[in-house]
Amino acid sequence: MKLKNNEALRERLAAEYVLGTLRGHARRRFEGLMHDDAALRRTTREWNERLGAMAEFAPAATPDVRVWRAIEDRLGLRPAAPRWQFWRHGTLALWRGLGLASSAVAALLVVSVLQQRPESARMSDIASLTDEQARPALVVTADRARGLMTVKVVSTVPLTAQQALQLWAVPRDGKPRSLGVLGANRALTLPLPANAIGADVALLAVSLEPKGGSTNPDGPSGPILYKGSWAHVL
Amino acid sequence: MNGAAIHSDPAQLRAWLHGAAQRDRSAFRSLYDASSPRLYGLALRILGRRELAEEVLQESFVAIWHHARDYESALSAPMTWMTTIVRNRAFDTLRRSRNDSDADAVDSQALESLADLAATPAERLQMSSEAQALADCMAALEEKHREVVGMAFFHDLSHSDVAHQLALPLGTVKTWIRRSLARLHSCLVARGAA
Repeated sequence: MKLKNNEALRERLAAEYVLGTLRGHARRRFEGLMHDDAALRRTTREWNERLGAMAEFAPAATPDVRVWRAIEDRLGLRPAAPRWQFWRHGTLALWRGLGLASSAVAALLVVSVLQQRPESARMSDIASLTDEQARPALVVTADRARGLMTVKVVSTVPLTAQQALQLWAVPRDGKPRSLGVLGANRALTLPLPANAIGADVALLAVSLEPKGGSTNPDGPSGPILYKGSWAHVL
Repeated sequence: MNGAAIHSDPAQLRAWLHGAAQRDRSAFRSLYDASSPRLYGLALRILGRRELAEEVLQESFVAIWHHARDYESALSAPMTWMTTIVRNRAFDTLRRSRNDSDADAVDSQALESLADLAATPAERLQMSSEAQALADCMAALEEKHREVVGMAFFHDLSHSDVAHQLALPLGTVKTWIRRSLARLHSCLVARGAA
């Protein structure tokens, strides 16, 4: 096959390469020739443009939305916000329901927590954070008068040295506010910012994060493990 | 389906591809919205089955995201570049499904889906100028010749596959394809579209 000065043959082979009728050994041979021949690559590219337009002869069809979702999942393109803001999409009523359920759990816990606290500590609010099976994992108490809150671990997932739990106040609108990061310690006393307990706080949540806390400035970077709401007790 | 939505300006598509190469998610989403109906239509035409075509579209866009950086050096129109990716992947799937099932059944299904490649006026309106030129030049071919070229392009058939399907001598099929490609070439060059 002498290609060098045979323009007609070059055109024909390039066209059949693109069309797909150049097969087997001849196809591999042609690919080898293209490798060292820029003009042949250009000829083939031109045929790819010409015949590629045939694709438009197929009627267009809108793919199902699940195709895009699968692409996003495979490439990890879905932003963290929607997962975090799930409760905003019509499920706030459900969350309020859950809040009530955990308030009941909280009431039970009040007793045990109160028993452990010195007389001087005054607890104004309490939240019991539970897992998906409504098992209590952490208890958060607030002392509005002194501007402090305490986080106590009841029972959480075991953490490695590189992991931490991060506590968030989730407002009805806007970004979640970080309240603190809990490492290996079983209890932690933190300042109580006003925006941790305001009327706009829909719930408290705990996410699993790398040591030091979330890498995402707008909210958790890891999964939400526990959640619950404040109950005012005083 | 709105023609304008499907048929995007190449400069716009190129800009979105460039954005995807820079890991711009919204550019990638716009690229998908603008080009997926055409590309899905192509996959559906080649494979004839929704679930296979969806899988190919998904794999193709994952590849487009990963290889968007290589696009610049491909020196082709954005739609051609993406079409080549989809067509190659659809052919891979087609080969697998032919191996898995009765080859004759698959091929006769493919043949049935092969409509006349001379476009209707309404379809023409949605095409790029390149595709319109190609449609005009293909319309000038004999019907049988047009069919043979279309079978090879959409159904990954070799000369002998086509000969077998159409019950024609192999030499006839080879001659038809060779002659059709030469005529398309001179027709497109004459129109200045090549």
